[in-house]
Amino acid sequence: MSQQQIKQLFDYVQERCLWQFHSRSWDRKENIDGIIAAATDLLHNSHPKTGAPMDKLFYADAKTMVADFRGRFPWINELEPTEITELMTGLKDALVDHTITKSLNHELNHSLY
Amino acid sequence: MPMVLLSCDKDIPEREKHVYLKVDGEDSRDFLPVSNAPTIPGTLSERGCAFCGAKLVIGGVLKDTIQMIHGPIGCAYDTWHTKRYPTDNGHFNMKYVWSTDMKESHIVFGGEKRLEKSIHEAFDEMPDVKRMMVYTTCPTALIGDDIKAVAKKVMAERPDVDIFTVECPGFAGVSQSKGHHVLNIGWINEKVGGIEKEITSEYTMNFIGDFNIQGDTQLIQKYWDKLGIQVIAHFTGNGTYDDLRCMHQAQLNVVNCARSSGYIANELKKQYGIPRLDIDSWGFNYMAEGIRKICAFFGIEERGEALIAEETAKWKPQLDWYKERLKGAKMAIWTGGPRLWHWTKSVEDDLGIQVVAMASKFGHQEDFEKVIARGQAGTYYIDDGNELEFFEIIDLVRPDVIFTGPRVGELVKKLHIPYINGHGYHNGPYMGFEGFVNLARDTYNAVHNPLLKLAATDIRAAKSAVFKEAAE
Repeated sequence: MSQQQIKQLFDYVQERCLWQFHSRSWDRKENIDGIIAAATDLLHNSHPKTGAPMDKLFYADAKTMVADFRGRFPWINELEPTEITELMTGLKDALVDHTITKSLNHELNHSLY
Repeated sequence: MPMVLLSCDKDIPEREKHVYLKVDGEDSRDFLPVSNAPTIPGTLSERGCAFCGAKLVIGGVLKDTIQMIHGPIGCAYDTWHTKRYPTDNGHFNMKYVWSTDMKESHIVFGGEKRLEKSIHEAFDEMPDVKRMMVYTTCPTALIGDDIKAVAKKVMAERPDVDIFTVECPGFAGVSQSKGHHVLNIGWINEKVGGIEKEITSEYTMNFIGDFNIQGDTQLIQKYWDKLGIQVIAHFTGNGTYDDLRCMHQAQLNVVNCARSSGYIANELKKQYGIPRLDIDSWGFNYMAEGIRKICAFFGIEERGEALIAEETAKWKPQLDWYKERLKGAKMAIWTGGPRLWHWTKSVEDDLGIQVVAMASKFGHQEDFEKVIARGQAGTYYIDDGNELEFFEIIDLVRPDVIFTGPRVGELVKKLHIPYINGHGYHNGPYMGFEGFVNLARDTYNAVHNPLLKLAATDIRAAKSAVFKEAAE
């Protein structure tokens, strides 16, 4: 697992995934946490929880993303479980950094929609 | 490189904060255009007004609702028939226009009585119609007419009617975006949850931020029917007033236009716990992805794959025919906001087109985050562009086709560059699989049409003369 591999996944997410750009910082954080957790489960070949409506949403987004990861980046299928966890943690940190912590969007922390 | 001060903006240097040129290695943490900010004095904006954002974009789409404009006649006329959103009941919304036709004396003495009379007249003339939206405009807001009180009085006298008021005069915000916001928040707070409709499927959703432009809603409704998903409410394409009151019944909110309608999706999540799923409905690849996500949410993936296979078999050969002939064409997208990020990758991936410049009238920074993430390096990203900037950008990037509105479109036609109506479409619908073939066909016809080049030739002279603009 390398920074280059995290970068490949990050570039894919930036280009394809609208959930990272929801209106407020707490929406973005909730999506990033939920979808990355569900995607990590899928990459570990276990089924994420889908009991609550938000769990089903995270699963729906993660399923598409993981299918694309496996298709576009075949190296991901060769990783050990610990490497997958490390990879997805790196991806999550990069997303939080770009879309929340260092975002220049002045509307991110308005208390109202 | 980043933010760019165009030559035409030398006297309004504040514009530099609104024009961005992406270069490799940069992202929106480094530079993000200022947006949803007041138009700078000295620049002539292409923006619409806040009232227009509420009425023309969202409310006026509904197929069973009188749109009463409380103001001078021009506010009604100029927000009528300038967008093409048909309906399946004979285009009620496009046939009629309503106004209180305020004159000077009403401004001086107050317009509430005139509004009350107009509401009664409209309901009397159309006895089958029982729903109405009333909009305040700049003059009636300034004189303080209380349209909520008038609506309440009429509803007390006519128990079978329901009226929603939109207090969003043109001056209320920096652009039409404010009107989207006011209508969204007003509707969720005042009307959603009042009534309930019959649930006919195990799977229910709202489809939010699609306005049935030339039949978009009706085209993709076929997909939801095939998948067995009941759409509780379309916000607001081909939609009805009462369906929109039932939005709380859906299991999922699917959002297309996040700018005009993200607010109500956010509030439905906050107030009713309904998840928000954003998708792109324009583009082959995107539409398939959206269907896959919706089906995964409901656990009906097989149905989704069958639908995608069927639509792909039907339309992909045609799309590929156009792709072969459009590869390398350069496009500019100068529309409202979201279509920049909806379209830039879909035309690139599905049609081989390169997007070289994008301008947004009313997008917020969220929209620029999305489009800069998706768009290419070497592309210009502009907030609230003006005519002189457009001309300068054209010189810099030389687009083969421009997706924009008729006002800017007529300007670029003078430069013999084809434009396609990026708001109301040329020959839509453009959403879904079939729709994207329509978009490809219109783009092909624009790019390869010899008429504009022929029009540049003056046959009256012995040799061709180049037409000069008045400013040259």
